[in-house]
Amino acid sequence: MAIVKMNKINIIGLNNKKPFLIKDLMDLGVVEISSLDEKLTDPEWIDYVKKDGNEIEVLNYDVQISKISEVLESLDKYNTEKKPLFSSKKTVTTNEFSEKILDTRRIKANVSEILELNKVLNTLSSEKNKIEGVISSLMPWAGYNIPLEVSETRYTRIFTGTIPSIMDLEKLKGHLEEKTDSFYFQVIGSDKDQYYISTICLAKEKEDIHEILKQYGFNNVSFKEFEGTAAENIAKYEKQLEEISERRNKTEESIRSATIYEEEIQLYYDHLVIERDKNSILSNLLITDTSFYIEGWTPEPTKEKVEEVLNKYQCWFEISQPEEDEEYPILLQNNSMVEPLEAVTELYSLPSSSNIDPTSSMWFFFILFFGMMFGDVGYGLMLVVSTSILLKKYHIEGTFGKMLKTLFYAGVSTMFWGLMFGSWFGDGIAAAANVFLKADLVIKPLWLNPMDDPMVVLIVSFALGLIHLLVGLAINGYMLIRDGKILDAVFDVGFWYLFIIGPVLLLLGGNFAETGKYLTIIGMVGLVLTQGREKKGIISKLISGILSLYGITGYLSDVLSYSRLLALGLATGVVSSVLSIIGSMGGSTFLGMILFTVVFVFGHSFNFAINALGSFVHSARLQYVEFFGKFYEGGGEPFNPLMKKTKYTKIIKEEN
Amino acid sequence: MELLLNGNFLAILGAAIAAMAGIGSAIGVGLVGSAAAGVVAEDPKKFGPTLMLQALPGTQGIYGLLIAFIILNKIGLITGNMVDLTTAQGGFFLASSLPIGIIGTLSAIHQGKVAASGVMLISKRPEEIAKAMVYAAMVETYAVLALLASFLMVNGL
Repeated sequence: MAIVKMNKINIIGLNNKKPFLIKDLMDLGVVEISSLDEKLTDPEWIDYVKKDGNEIEVLNYDVQISKISEVLESLDKYNTEKKPLFSSKKTVTTNEFSEKILDTRRIKANVSEILELNKVLNTLSSEKNKIEGVISSLMPWAGYNIPLEVSETRYTRIFTGTIPSIMDLEKLKGHLEEKTDSFYFQVIGSDKDQYYISTICLAKEKEDIHEILKQYGFNNVSFKEFEGTAAENIAKYEKQLEEISERRNKTEESIRSATIYEEEIQLYYDHLVIERDKNSILSNLLITDTSFYIEGWTPEPTKEKVEEVLNKYQCWFEISQPEEDEEYPILLQNNSMVEPLEAVTELYSLPSSSNIDPTSSMWFFFILFFGMMFGDVGYGLMLVVSTSILLKKYHIEGTFGKMLKTLFYAGVSTMFWGLMFGSWFGDGIAAAANVFLKADLVIKPLWLNPMDDPMVVLIVSFALGLIHLLVGLAINGYMLIRDGKILDAVFDVGFWYLFIIGPVLLLLGGNFAETGKYLTIIGMVGLVLTQGREKKGIISKLISGILSLYGITGYLSDVLSYSRLLALGLATGVVSSVLSIIGSMGGSTFLGMILFTVVFVFGHSFNFAINALGSFVHSARLQYVEFFGKFYEGGGEPFNPLMKKTKYTKIIKEEN
Repeated sequence: MELLLNGNFLAILGAAIAAMAGIGSAIGVGLVGSAAAGVVAEDPKKFGPTLMLQALPGTQGIYGLLIAFIILNKIGLITGNMVDLTTAQGGFFLASSLPIGIIGTLSAIHQGKVAASGVMLISKRPEEIAKAMVYAAMVETYAVLALLASFLMVNGL
């Protein structure tokens, strides 16, 4: 249950110490520097201070960063070395880091060389496009063997061009023959839209012939820019294309050979990002001619370290508790077991600072519900093994890493429920034994098979749901008491407890029924008397009190919602058994074994994927809707300290 | 007419109706898929999250198949020794297929609409994928309840 306590921090210092202070605070990485824009419109402040920051400098860094990320992208693209599935950050010490980026001149030279090569690649590909365009326009004329630049001789005129394919060429020929007998008409090619034709006629008759051609939709095509026949030209351009692709390969090869600098450039990238952040944070500062002013937040546990740094630079500072009702940035802290589930909380929304971190209270239920819905030893094992391999091999951090660890725990729970339900790939293992070994294997569940006794599992689901809801309600009560609203806790939580537990005891019957009856009555009367306490007038108080009893339907539907624990568990199990039946159709023959293997592998992969997703979503939903609905209020802003937000390297402090 | 009063026919008809929840899933998955394709055209990295959303309305088809399978198993069609059912018995199976057949179909279509809007949501705010999925899961609740209703009916027969 831990939202880390935040302290407000105000700092005033001298401008000449500012860069060093910012650097040290960044190394510490525990101070969030807030924006002070509203102070700039405050008449009390406006006369004395102005906004710090150098936007042009920041812009410069941004330009460089975007160039380098382009370079890194192209290096990545042409790097033929096998890349790991997930990249993990390299660890370097601060000294190594500054040593490696010492020679910025050389790195910059490499960067601009690769940018140059990229540019060459771009020109080459646009040239290639152009030439390919020309070739495709010449292609229909490949069979035309008069040099393209010849459009007339002393006595003749040559028309080249296109005629739409809906025209009747025989009719056109007849028309030409009517006019004159000294002409040569040739169809060179055709496609689905048009014919490509050439007509040679006497120069003196060229007007008439053109007129006739035009009636048939003739469109003149001229080849002024070419020399030689179409086929010659095509060959020439194809050769050029070959040259271009050769040059392309060479350029790509040079980029590839530059991948040895990749690591260096990545370091430089991170260096630039750090510098950019140092500069951009300045715009959150206010300055006078000689001093600066910072406002921010720092977590309570790291207070001393921050004080140490501030004293070193002779700053004046004040560290104070946030005022009551003041929202502060949220940092969650949990033990290593619970921590991964923070990802599930973050996916919903961080708690507001007056609320509570729900992660530790939801941990058990999330894992339990996931396992119950997925409930299979085989699938659980798949989850556990795959997530452990990923975590071991790639040291994945951040939200994704947390998610993997969550799935690891969920896998363990899945195996547990699989054992309880006797589900090993459904009845896949038993079916496999039957097909391959002709053996009758019966795997007994430790508890029961939900297919045989669905009602028992359903009731257990409801019971778990009820406990889940009551825990949520109890947290609400805890928060009310924490905030000193003890009466509210009794009215809004205590009476509901009576009104929920009472009817349940009544339903159970037996010795508890009598107690249940009284609890129900006390709860009901209490609710009727107290739930209208904010209304004015006896009657409206009473009416809202009575109406509030209707809220029991909300609890009823909440509890019914947990029936999904059974239903989704059945979905996983029944699909598995369908797979076993389909797979066993071939019997114990060789072909039957192949059939079984194929159905088993593909079917279970599909079932695994779809049900893992379903179990996660529905387990999350039970937390978000049913559980959080009882007490949780999101909307907290995450704590965002000034720190080194590197992409490729993890910089650690030198150990002395 | 004789066929309509045949118990085995009615039971198989029930299995068929249950499996028809797949119609809804097909429509729902289709809706999400076409929305997702538009988003992925802009940003191919969103393939993973959109695929997860697309899978959500697909479950009703599975629930339908599940009930169909249990019915067929109960009347012995799968093992090949079909038992003779009276008209009333067949009618019971038919009736128990209705919740998942009808609610499954409709809820899958609506879940598809919600998930398609969820795709639009994550095209603008990729970090909010969990919310998009919870919205879609809210619709699925009723398919789960229908599955449960059908299952309890069939299982009791």
